[in-house]
Amino acid sequence: MTQFLQALAYGAVQGGLLALVAVGFSLVWGVMNVINLSHGALAVTGAYVAWLLNLHFGLDPFLAIPFVGVTLFAIGYVIQRGLINLVINAPIFLTLLLTFGLSLVVLNALQLAFKSDDRTIDTSYASQSFVIGVVNIPYGRLAACLLAVAITVGLAAVMTRTRLGHAISATGMDRGAARLMGIRARHIYAVTFGISAALAGIAGTMIATVGSFNPTTTPGQLTLDAFVISVLGGLGNMYGALVGGFVLGVAETVGGLLLTGTWVNAIAMAVLIVTLIIRPSGLIGKAQFSGRVEV
Amino acid sequence: MSTETASLAALLEGRRGSRNEQVTEWLRSRTLANSWGAAALVALFAAMLGLEQVIEPGTMRLLSAVFMFVALAQGWNIIGGFTGYASFGQVAFFGIGAYTTAVLMNNYHASFWIAMPAAIVGGVLFAVLIGLPLLRLRGHYFAIATLGAAEGAREVVNNMTPITGGGLGITIPTFGSQAPTAYFGKPGFYLAFLLLATASVALSAVLARSRFGYAMVAVHEDEAAAGALGINTTTVKVVAFAVSAAIVACAGALYAFQQIEFYPTDVFDSSFTVLMVIMVVIGGSGSVVGPLVGAAGLELLSQYLRINLGTYNQLIFGAIVVAVVVFFPQGVVNFVRDAWRSRRLSLLDNIRRYRL
Repeated sequence: MTQFLQALAYGAVQGGLLALVAVGFSLVWGVMNVINLSHGALAVTGAYVAWLLNLHFGLDPFLAIPFVGVTLFAIGYVIQRGLINLVINAPIFLTLLLTFGLSLVVLNALQLAFKSDDRTIDTSYASQSFVIGVVNIPYGRLAACLLAVAITVGLAAVMTRTRLGHAISATGMDRGAARLMGIRARHIYAVTFGISAALAGIAGTMIATVGSFNPTTTPGQLTLDAFVISVLGGLGNMYGALVGGFVLGVAETVGGLLLTGTWVNAIAMAVLIVTLIIRPSGLIGKAQFSGRVEV
Repeated sequence: MSTETASLAALLEGRRGSRNEQVTEWLRSRTLANSWGAAALVALFAAMLGLEQVIEPGTMRLLSAVFMFVALAQGWNIIGGFTGYASFGQVAFFGIGAYTTAVLMNNYHASFWIAMPAAIVGGVLFAVLIGLPLLRLRGHYFAIATLGAAEGAREVVNNMTPITGGGLGITIPTFGSQAPTAYFGKPGFYLAFLLLATASVALSAVLARSRFGYAMVAVHEDEAAAGALGINTTTVKVVAFAVSAAIVACAGALYAFQQIEFYPTDVFDSSFTVLMVIMVVIGGSGSVVGPLVGAAGLELLSQYLRINLGTYNQLIFGAIVVAVVVFFPQGVVNFVRDAWRSRRLSLLDNIRRYRL
């Protein structure tokens, strides 16, 4: 029972971290209908920015977040404006291939610059933990989880309450109509991608703080997790990624407790496929995003 | 009969006559194109057979890989190009083909000539099993679901240690009396992969001109309209998926025998899927020549980069993929064909096509 509760708690904080990775991914997917395979690469880029700041200036990773956010926003804006906008109307596998090529370029550049060693940002508190009853909760992961929740709530507020958020939603719903209303779709798409990249970078920073990262295996895993979470939670609702993240986090830790070997990965994929078949709009997503004809 | 009606009748008759002539003309040109295509394929096959006599074993191995990718790209093109369902789990069939072959040859001492058909059957069965529910999904959702199916298949193989050897890998016995089938060697595999590539191109060409091929394209263009025309879209999609799985599983079986020893992470590596997609898209999806050109061009290029650029090869490769997607979104073959027909060669037109 203790073990189970511990797994539950650990899964919940892990889920928050995963949700932070997925929320930007699901935003771009929902608004532009682009699956960004370079999302993991952007997250790792953010992790390197924070790692460098920590290495050279001794900056705490939580204080580095604004710098990481701004840097990654700029990178994301340029990528969308200069590259992805060029093929935005193409069949889906073209945008998939473009972002795949992009991620190859980014990751190999990172690998050449920083080698493929495992890196981590050391802090005095990340490995400390406190105890509630019988459950052990690490400070670093809890902080990352709370940050993820705060950012998701903040993003939802931006999307529903500001002109920018309305412009983004409108462009996602009907680009033609949005442009007729005077919304600059190219700019809005670029801003959306920038926000997504910034969130990925922040998530990468958190991962670097509570665990370790490298440019070879981490990005692919993060992109795949973001995929699964976005589908689980559903598109068109900012809280979808949060719900999906918690479900995946808890399912993985509890599954890991009950099953041997890597069977838990097979179970995660089975859950994904069954969700897609039974409820393609995700747990709390909007049906509009699953029913449309895309190919 | 008044002269007016007579002339109208004559006009109608004339028009009908001219249309018949047009149809006949079209049929003739089609038959001509078909026979030219068949002749070109035979010539290419003969040239490759001749080439085998003059090249070194190392080059033979490289060209075997090229042939394998031609077959894989043709396989993906049937479901992704013609039918328009972008499968991102194609590597599952490759892995299932490889593991069926290895398990039969290693655990049951079966001959390769029994194991390979069994591998194809395995791939087809898996395609039908996952195709029936998943082909109801569209676009990204189908892509992800198939990706998930491939990842799941890998994990299952990874965890069935008593049968598949799990993460420790599996070895096909190839020496002495242990070997169920004598190892082909480099020339043997060159020939085997060449035959597979040729057969897949021929199959793709025959399918493209068949009633079934038109049904696949109709599903791609507009599924509802295809259904309204009386096409059983479910059957078309599942059969197309199964045919593409058969080609890929056969390639997987040959690859397994060629490698002798391999791990689940090798044959279920999703970068295989991505390569298939890139090759088809760069060559020109939905055509017969496109995947051939794309696979041969890209595999030769990536081998060249690997040999000559060392650590930078992946970086350059990624940059090339990005550039090709932006400049040739419809694929090289389709680009050349359109440029030939319209007598206009403009890269800017390509960029204008899909940009915002």
